[in-house]
Amino acid sequence: MPLLEVHNLVKNFGGLKANDDISFTVEKGELIGLIGPNGAGKTTLFNCISGLHPVSSGRIVFDGEDITSLKAFDIARRGMARTFQVYVASGDLTVIENVMVGAFMHTRLRTAARSRAEEILSNLNLAELTGYRVSELPVAAQKRVTMATALATGPKMLLLDEVAAGLNPSEVDEIMSGIRHVHNDMGITVMLIEHVMELVMKISDRVIVLDYGQKIAEGQPRQIAGDPRVIQAYLGERYVREHSQELT
Amino acid sequence: MEALKSAFDFSDFPRSDLFVAGALVVLLLVFPLFPHSAFAMATVIQFFIFSLYGMGWNTIGGYGGQVDLGKAQYVGIGAYTTAVMLIRWDIPFWVSMPVGVCLAVAWSFVIGFPLFRLKGHYFAIATIATSLVLKDLFEVWDFVGAARGLEISPIKYTPPDFLRLIFREDIYYYYVIFAFFLIGIFYINWFRKSRLGFQLRAIKDNESVAQSLGINVHLAKVKTYAIATAFVSVVGSFHACYIKNIEPEDTMSLNISILIALMAMLGGAGSLWGPIIGAGILIPLKSYLKEWLGATAGLVGIDLILYALIIMIISATEPRGIWGIVERLRRRKPN
Amino acid sequence: MDILLSSLVAGIMFGMALSLVALGLTIIFGVMDIVNFAHGEFLMIGMYTGLLTAQAAGVDPLLTLPAAALVGFVLGVLCYAGFVKYLLRGPMIAQLLGTFGLMLFLRNMALLIFGANDRAVHQGLLVGKSIDLGMGVIIPATKLAAAGLAAVSFGAVWLLMNRTKFGKALTATALNPQGARYMGIPTERMNALAWGIGCASVTIAGALIVNFWSVNPYIGLLFTMLAFAIVALGGFGSVPGAFFAGIVVGLITEIPGFWDFLTYTFDIDWMADVPMTSFKYMWVYLAYFLIMVVRPRGLFGWKH
Repeated sequence: MPLLEVHNLVKNFGGLKANDDISFTVEKGELIGLIGPNGAGKTTLFNCISGLHPVSSGRIVFDGEDITSLKAFDIARRGMARTFQVYVASGDLTVIENVMVGAFMHTRLRTAARSRAEEILSNLNLAELTGYRVSELPVAAQKRVTMATALATGPKMLLLDEVAAGLNPSEVDEIMSGIRHVHNDMGITVMLIEHVMELVMKISDRVIVLDYGQKIAEGQPRQIAGDPRVIQAYLGERYVREHSQELT
Repeated sequence: MEALKSAFDFSDFPRSDLFVAGALVVLLLVFPLFPHSAFAMATVIQFFIFSLYGMGWNTIGGYGGQVDLGKAQYVGIGAYTTAVMLIRWDIPFWVSMPVGVCLAVAWSFVIGFPLFRLKGHYFAIATIATSLVLKDLFEVWDFVGAARGLEISPIKYTPPDFLRLIFREDIYYYYVIFAFFLIGIFYINWFRKSRLGFQLRAIKDNESVAQSLGINVHLAKVKTYAIATAFVSVVGSFHACYIKNIEPEDTMSLNISILIALMAMLGGAGSLWGPIIGAGILIPLKSYLKEWLGATAGLVGIDLILYALIIMIISATEPRGIWGIVERLRRRKPN
Repeated sequence: MDILLSSLVAGIMFGMALSLVALGLTIIFGVMDIVNFAHGEFLMIGMYTGLLTAQAAGVDPLLTLPAAALVGFVLGVLCYAGFVKYLLRGPMIAQLLGTFGLMLFLRNMALLIFGANDRAVHQGLLVGKSIDLGMGVIIPATKLAAAGLAAVSFGAVWLLMNRTKFGKALTATALNPQGARYMGIPTERMNALAWGIGCASVTIAGALIVNFWSVNPYIGLLFTMLAFAIVALGGFGSVPGAFFAGIVVGLITEIPGFWDFLTYTFDIDWMADVPMTSFKYMWVYLAYFLIMVVRPRGLFGWKH
């Protein structure tokens, strides 16, 4: 049984179809990359799956249960965690407190939440940041902290929205090893939106490509990289026409 | 058990803070034993009352970031419940106070569920509207004395009456409200470290993120609103016994709501000591300025002008209040 | 029947004056997303300006509108440049706190300067005169003039906002401050002007209302709340919304009149016992609460 099934998902914003009839499944233990040009509807898809936006039509099944009409917090409690693309920490929560918020999903006890948060922070090599305020940290570190917070909820599946955007190569490597750790060692199914192709192609089992709200391709990273529709979506129709020989 | 331990655990504050806090508690404990004016006594009691209001407000307004400007309606519910029950049926404070809390919390649920569909300014203004509606109703409701209000006549009882909380000397009221004050501090100290406390701080930071961490944002707000309400209602009940003469204009006006929020915001919303610092500065300032400038020099309103200037300067320069200044200074120090 | 008509006419006329009160609030909110709790205090200042200028210059209070507009404009710009500008950098909580401070400050300055007594206009061309519209509807001339002038002032501001380059720049600033800045619009100055115009329109309203409403330093809050109700109903930031919502709220304040009409028309005893006039403003607050909960954008809201 697949962990996540998305059937014919449609999301309209007024007249705009942000997601148009998207279907796919994710098996337990997979690492799926979700790519597409800006405005392709990737984040909207995440928002629909995680329950932040109500879907216009279609069905989402998670772990054998229909979650289409559930609220975001209910979906999170069923084991779906996520991070956000744009996250500006403005509050006064420290790193450990921030991660504890996630850990509080399964316990009322502060001591239990605290020890769980400490464990996750040390697993992700973030232990030295514990006492800082999240808002004081550089962006790269903030993104790792939000990942740690999402993990503290003990999810079955983790949706990562552009965790590597704006990071330098060494930071990308760090986050990549973090994602590998989550996937391989913690056994969590991961789906990630990413513009850093190097990262997606290196670590994904499978890649799904969106363009103008539609799924235009799905397959292993190598297949996707050579798919003319994908190249067209990224480089534009004209470029493909003019360079058709080189590309094939 | 863990909750109790947490309530008495202040270890995340620097020692110097705890030393200052401890010294102040001792000072307040022995204050009535030294010679003092009745005016000073009344001012300190007001300080306790508004600290408690502020602490209650701070749960939803400070930790949760929901600017609530309608707390006076719950002062009114608490005060009127106690006064009505005492005057009409001779029911003592210790029974009427919890009844008042139940009524206030019930009312907070009735308006809280729709209210928290609103955010930011919209929420703040809607809380004012609800409070004014209730005040208008009380002003024409004969059962609670309408605009004339209610008067608890102390001659009927033989003070000191600890059951009904009717005393002749303020010193009794002083220690009763002081006890509430300490309980309030311990409760908030527990609250800020509880699951709900953490959830609220996450909500204040970013509601979408909070949702994605499994937090039922709407319910968490309504629950905290009820906690804030309970705080305010308890003190409202005390207020009725202490003042003995309550009318809608004094207990439920917008000024009270604003003052409650101001205490906490001035001291530092979202910190344990904020509302206490705010009340500690504003209440003496207000009553002494009024006494000196208003009564002595005959300058009506000048106390409130200075008061308003302080508020304006703080809000424009250090929105996190006085506690924000303290924390900023502390962070600048190399350590 | 005449009760009904009188209430209708009174409600509409008061509503037109209220529209002008709310206009300033909605402009300021629309341009910089800040709720000004001191709004009613500006009305109070407008009322005192109208009253005192009329007394000092010996002219009819209705002729003091330019003075009131000038005072409001200057005060608004000063408030922005000297205070509100700094508030905008802080979080919402500081903005609420800050404009509350401003409210307390203005109110108590007025108390210090003018004293707590009610003051009213006693002389003037129209004071004490009234016009019989027939069907038993008699309206005070001051109210009629106030309503008419309010509508004219409202129209002038609307034209300024919609038909001039300045108005377009203001709208641009409202919709996207950063974008407007890139396009070369001096957004700081736009904000200051929005405060100037917003406050001027409310002081004009004050100078009109003082013709039939006595003034004291505490009058502001009631009008702040009425203005909030109107702006909520009309949609935060919407100028035409403010006009129609103003009339609706004016009619809501006349609910006691309609109640009396029903009581006498159908001769219902228990209705006569309800002290409806005490609830006069409660309906406004209640309407406000319901509108906010059911449709937070208001009826004509355009911004988010």
